[in-house]
Amino acid sequence: MSAQALAVEGVSVALDAFALRDLSLAVTPGEVLVLLGPNGAGKSVILETIAGFHRPLQGRVRIGDRDVTALPPEARHVGYVFQNFALFPHLSVAQNVRFATEARGTARAGRLEGERRITALLARFDLARIADRRPADLSGGEKQRVALARALATDPAVFLFDEPFSALDAATRDALRDELADFLREAGVPALYVTHDYAEAMAFADQVAVVDGGTIVQCGPAERVFAAPGTARIARMIGVENIVEGQVRAVADGEAILALGSSEFRVPLHDRAVAAGQRVSVSVRAEDLSVLLPGQAPSAADIVVPARILRLANRGPLVRVDCDCGFPLIACVTRAQCRQLALAPGHQVLVALPRAALNLLAG
Amino acid sequence: MSPAVAMRRPALFLAFWLLGSLVLAFIVVPLLSLVAAPGVTGLVRAAAMPDVRAAIALSLGAALVAAALAAVSGVPLAYVLARSAFPGKGIVEAVVDLPLTVPHTVAGIALLLAFGREGVLGEPAAAWFGLRFWGTFAGIVVGMLFVSLPYAVNASRIGFEEAIDPHLEKVARTLGAGPWRVFTRIALPLAWRGVMAGITLTFARAISEFATVALLAYYPMTAPIKVYELFLRFGLDDATGAAVLFLGIVLLLFVLLRQFAYGRGGNRGFGR
Repeated sequence: MSAQALAVEGVSVALDAFALRDLSLAVTPGEVLVLLGPNGAGKSVILETIAGFHRPLQGRVRIGDRDVTALPPEARHVGYVFQNFALFPHLSVAQNVRFATEARGTARAGRLEGERRITALLARFDLARIADRRPADLSGGEKQRVALARALATDPAVFLFDEPFSALDAATRDALRDELADFLREAGVPALYVTHDYAEAMAFADQVAVVDGGTIVQCGPAERVFAAPGTARIARMIGVENIVEGQVRAVADGEAILALGSSEFRVPLHDRAVAAGQRVSVSVRAEDLSVLLPGQAPSAADIVVPARILRLANRGPLVRVDCDCGFPLIACVTRAQCRQLALAPGHQVLVALPRAALNLLAG
Repeated sequence: MSPAVAMRRPALFLAFWLLGSLVLAFIVVPLLSLVAAPGVTGLVRAAAMPDVRAAIALSLGAALVAAALAAVSGVPLAYVLARSAFPGKGIVEAVVDLPLTVPHTVAGIALLLAFGREGVLGEPAAAWFGLRFWGTFAGIVVGMLFVSLPYAVNASRIGFEEAIDPHLEKVARTLGAGPWRVFTRIALPLAWRGVMAGITLTFARAISEFATVALLAYYPMTAPIKVYELFLRFGLDDATGAAVLFLGIVLLLFVLLRQFAYGRGGNRGFGR
C-alpha cells in the first residue's frame, strides 16, 4: 500500500445532483496523474473528496501509508491549487505563505524556524522582492508561484490542481504551463491534475484517467490512453479528430481487414474481439496523418488513401486539412508543409495513415 | 447602467432624474424643516434638560448593547446561512425576516407576553438570574434587538456570500486551518464591510425604535419616547428641540460607525 503516494479505493460519494460511483485510482510517488473529462464529469468532486470536503459513503482514501478517509481537510496534508490560485486577497504574499506555516503549526516548533522556512520559500520561488504586495497587484505568473510556495509550506504529501489556468488568457497559460511542468518535475511531489483541456493534459501527464459521469472510464499511461482510447465517446473527450466507421471483412493474424469507403485497411486488433461482418469504429489523431502529393512515395508502414481537400483552417501554428476520402478525414500539417505542397481546397492529394496509429474502438 | 447606455436615452434618463429628485426632496425637506425649526436657543434649552440628556444617553447605550448582541448572535447565524444547505433553510430565513413584517405594536405585545412577569422567558429569567424586562434597560434592549436583528443577519450574510470566493475557505482548510481559524482569519476579515454595514444598520434601527420599546419598557424613557412625551405634554416647540438634538447625535455616531467600517476595509482587495 505504501508504494503509492495516493490511493482512492472504491469510493462512492453522493451529492445533491451528482454522485461518484465506486471510483478507484492511484498515484505513485513522483508521478502526475491527469484527470481528463468534460465539464460536469466529476473531476473536481474527486479532488474535493481526496482533500476531505466530501465524506464517502463507502471506500477509502489513503495518502502515503495513512488512511485519511475519516480525517478533516486540515489534517490530510494535501496541497490544493485552485482555478485563479485562490490567494487570500487581504493578505500580502508573505502573509499568504505564513498562513500555511502557522495553520499547520510548524511555527509552533519555533517561531524563528517558521520564519526561516518562509524566507527560504519566498527565495526559492523568486518572491522575496514582492513579499509585501497584495495578490491584486501580482501577475499571473507571480500568483502561481505564491500558490505553489504556500502549498509547499505545509509539506504536502500530494498536490491537487483544479484547472488552475482556466481563467487565464492563452499567452499567460502557455508560460505558466511550462513553469508548472518544470516545478512538478523538479519537486517530485506526486500530483493529481484536473483539466478538460487535452493540450494541458499532454503537458503534465504521466498517467491519464478519463472521467465521465462520476466514474473513471479509462486509465493508463498518458501515451497509451491518448493513442488508444477505448470507445468513441472517450476518443471524442480526449480530442481525437477522426472517428471513422467501417465493416470488418475478415480477421487474420491479429489484424482486422476493414472496409472504409472504397478502401481496405489492415488494423491491429490488440485485445479487441471482432467478427467478420461486424460494423466497427476506428480512431486516429489528425497529427498522426500526413498529406502527400499524388506520385509521392509513402513509407511502407503507411496505408495510403486518395483524398480531395474540402477546406483548410488555421489552427495556431498548424493548418487543419479537411479531406474527403470516401469518408471524412482530418489531417494536420505545419504551415511550411502547407506552402510546400501548395495545398488548396479542391486539390487531389494522398493521405498516409500509419498503421500503428489506427485504433480499433470498442462498442 | 453604463454611462454609454444613459447617453443614448437622454429623455428617459432626465425623466428618471426628475422622479429621483422628488424622492430626495421627500427625504430631505422634512429633516431640514426640523433642523431649521428650533434655532440655537431651542437646542440649548433641550440640552439643558436633564431628562432629555438622560433619555438620549439611555438610547445610545441600549442601542449599542443591542447592536453588540446582534453582532455576537447574528453574524454566526449569517455565516451558517451563507455556507450550508440544510432542510428547512427557507423556514429559518423567513423567521429571520419576520420582525421586518410584524407591525411594531404587535411585536411589542408579543415581547410583553414572552418577556413579561409571567412570560415563558420572562419568568425563568427573573427567577434564575434576577433579570427583569418589564420597564428596565434589559427590556429596552430586547425591544430594540427584536426589530433590528434581521439587518445584522442579512447584511452579514451578503458579506459572506458575495465578498468571498468559496475556494479561499477550502484552500485555507487544506493549508491546515480548522473551521474556527478559517472563520476568524479568512471569512470575517473579507466579509468585514458587510458585517459592519449590518451592525451599523442594526444600531440605526435600534436607536430609532419607538413602539416595540414603548410597550415593553415605556420607562425608563428612551429618546424617541421622550420626544413623544414632550410633544404630548408641552407641544411642538419643546419636542422639536429635543428631536433635533437627538438627530444630531445619532447622525454623528452613524457617520463615525461608517467611517470605522469602511475606513478599515476600504483599501483591501475584496475582489475575487
